[in-house]
Amino acid sequence: MLKIVNEHPQYIVAKVDIGEANLTHSDQFKTELVSLLNYKQRNVWLNMEQVTYVDSSFLGALVAGLKYALGAGDDLVLLGLQKDVHDLLKLIRLDKVFKIYADEQAATVALNQ
Amino acid sequence: MATGLSKNILLVDDNPLFLKILCQAFTTAGFNCHAANSGVEALQSLKAFKPDVILSDYEMPGMNGLEFRLQVLQIDALKEIPFLFLTAHEDEGIMYTGLNLQAIDYVLKTTPFDVIVAKLTNLLHTVSKQRQITEQEIRKTVAALNIKPVPAVLPQIDGFEIDFWHHSYQNIPGGDFIDFINTGNYLFVVIGDLMGKKWKAWFYTFTYLSYIRAAIRFSVITAHSSLANTLQQINAVVCQDEGLANILSSLSLVRIEKATGKIIYSGAGDLPLLNYRADTQELKQIKSTGMLLGVLPDGFYTEQEIAMAPSDQLYIFTDGLIDISSGGKQKTDYRFFANQMSGYLQAGQLFNDIKNNLQQKAAGFTDDSSIICIKKINTHA
Repeated sequence: MLKIVNEHPQYIVAKVDIGEANLTHSDQFKTELVSLLNYKQRNVWLNMEQVTYVDSSFLGALVAGLKYALGAGDDLVLLGLQKDVHDLLKLIRLDKVFKIYADEQAATVALNQ
Repeated sequence: MATGLSKNILLVDDNPLFLKILCQAFTTAGFNCHAANSGVEALQSLKAFKPDVILSDYEMPGMNGLEFRLQVLQIDALKEIPFLFLTAHEDEGIMYTGLNLQAIDYVLKTTPFDVIVAKLTNLLHTVSKQRQITEQEIRKTVAALNIKPVPAVLPQIDGFEIDFWHHSYQNIPGGDFIDFINTGNYLFVVIGDLMGKKWKAWFYTFTYLSYIRAAIRFSVITAHSSLANTLQQINAVVCQDEGLANILSSLSLVRIEKATGKIIYSGAGDLPLLNYRADTQELKQIKSTGMLLGVLPDGFYTEQEIAMAPSDQLYIFTDGLIDISSGGKQKTDYRFFANQMSGYLQAGQLFNDIKNNLQQKAAGFTDDSSIICIKKINTHA
């Protein structure tokens, strides 16, 4: 479900390779994300461009991942959100807890400033 | 045959021809068939596809069937899926080892394809039946305990009509909850949505509801707490409760002062409310600032007064109502729902009509769905 596409000394870029992210994926996604954070011990940038829909279970898993990352002194960054998914995050104010960028380049520019 | 039986199968075999024919046989019998040429490929496929049953060859180069089975057992979300081995010949040693890995059965490759398909179909029927029996038992227990996440009676308050509609996803109690808390001077309207679905979410709603009820009662007894403070207190307790780690919830809190009809609203990660103005026939969004409960120790909660004239209506609802299925694809669309509501209201529909409309669509909903209507019926002195 999570595919590492780029590794940097400070962060890992992992692609979420599902379209509709729902209850059937949320537990496994959380397990993979926590394993990735544990194993790589650095920030994880999630490329979400393939995800067209997230349900509340999956959002819960994303927030759980963020809390886990922050607790370990790392961060979870979201990249390439589709409009519907981004709109949902804004509607319920989760855009205030996640760092969200269009792509890896935009995140690199913003986070290096 | 029972209707609605889910028939998703994962077939794993390194022989492409055998795999193709087997897949054709299952597809003809109405199965949704995913095929993988190896254990590694099957594990990759399982990341995006959760089958109802797995049928795997035992003898494969690289990762053999037993090793594949061991990998599947390591994954919580997959380990309960019924698993059967395909073998080229009867070998008691292999069977014994496999059965210790909780494989349900063996199917010899020499078995005619229609018999293999019939065997798997029967197995899925048995699993489905057993699941239904278990669910019925849980439902009976829940009914006996008489605990419900939504109230049995509607609140009565001068100057207002309050009603709600609630639908459980697949008729299994889930994460939505509603409560009306009547204190001396106030009526509190509570609606929340625990992130998650079905029984697990349902179970936690009661912990949340207990905290919410306690915080509201304390706020009334101490007579100094603002609604935003009440929300902050609920959030602080939720964030500190290790039993609720990573269990998040939205919450809309509305407080109506009985003597004056004054309405105060505070929200936590909830969807914007919809406020219908009868004079202009406009439907306006009312947004809160607060974060979902359980995300951050400081949830940035604020409160606001909502002014309502007679015949104005206030709608508070959960996210199940803004999920729509279009062309087989899921979509979240708040604006679509708001426009739909606007159309209903401008056409003069009452909440009872809206409830009927929702009920007709409910079978297609993919999450718990709840909506409360607060209608102002006359002015206060």
